[in-house]
Amino acid sequence: MIRGLRWGDAVVVALATALVTSSFALGYAPGGDSTHLVITQAGVDPRHYPLTENRAIRVEGPAGVTEIEIQPGRARCLRSPGNQGICEAAGWLERPGDMAVSLPNRLTLQVRGARSDFDSMHY
Amino acid sequence: MNTDPVLADRRIAALAALAIGLQVIEAAIPSPVPGIKPGLANVITLVTLVTLGWRAALAVTLLRVVGASLLLGTLLSPGFWLSLTGALAALAVLAPLLRLHPRHLSALGLAVPAAIAHTLGQFLLAWAVIIPHPQLPLLLPPLLLAGLITGVVTGILTASVLADPRIQRHVRDPSTTQSG
Repeated sequence: MIRGLRWGDAVVVALATALVTSSFALGYAPGGDSTHLVITQAGVDPRHYPLTENRAIRVEGPAGVTEIEIQPGRARCLRSPGNQGICEAAGWLERPGDMAVSLPNRLTLQVRGARSDFDSMHY
Repeated sequence: MNTDPVLADRRIAALAALAIGLQVIEAAIPSPVPGIKPGLANVITLVTLVTLGWRAALAVTLLRVVGASLLLGTLLSPGFWLSLTGALAALAVLAPLLRLHPRHLSALGLAVPAAIAHTLGQFLLAWAVIIPHPQLPLLLPPLLLAGLITGVVTGILTASVLADPRIQRHVRDPSTTQSG
């Protein structure tokens, strides 16, 4: 091992570790709670709904009706005409950026907050 | 300490040559993540700093950055400016810390702040000038972690280089020679 280590080394390494840890904590903190649901449908302006109280929404689409359930802080696709159940399988949308899609009804549901979480990083 | 200017120049030239060699070899090693590399040339910077002082370290660093970029064909490219900024940021942090060596800080305690400053300096240049993207700070935590790890590694390497008796007698502060 290395000889001649000084007490200052421990201080420096501890400070550097604290800097790295706090940078992770600040940079990668969860994006907070979702505040609203955005329903985007082909040919229609996006509609925004606050995630404050229980609410049921019915959206008409080319394949039928998509039923959306809103609860405080989250939303989900309850029933949708797609026969593979992909929209329903997305489950509760809670984290900002979570999304459910119904291709037959040509719509997407996304919850958003003050800050979006990211899915991945590449460059 | 020998004050012969010719000898001092030769020492700086020899150390710069070593640093250029290390940097060119390192450039040939594929990195798993762009922007992260060991920074072995910083071992030479630290050894120069401790044995010959910060003016010599500045000379070696500038020679290394320019010389290596000539060999790698990156002169005046973004990579060159990043390399220069990182190296100067590291030196700016090292100059005040040098007073604490070796009484309060060993080479490890110099290498870690130097590596972090290198990373931060490069990042600030990249963010301000090269890629001014609002989400770029999300890259900073892993880069800082890499800086911490490479700082510890280069610090250990520098400590073992400085512990060599042939180097040891050039180390400036006499208090290290007692333990060596």
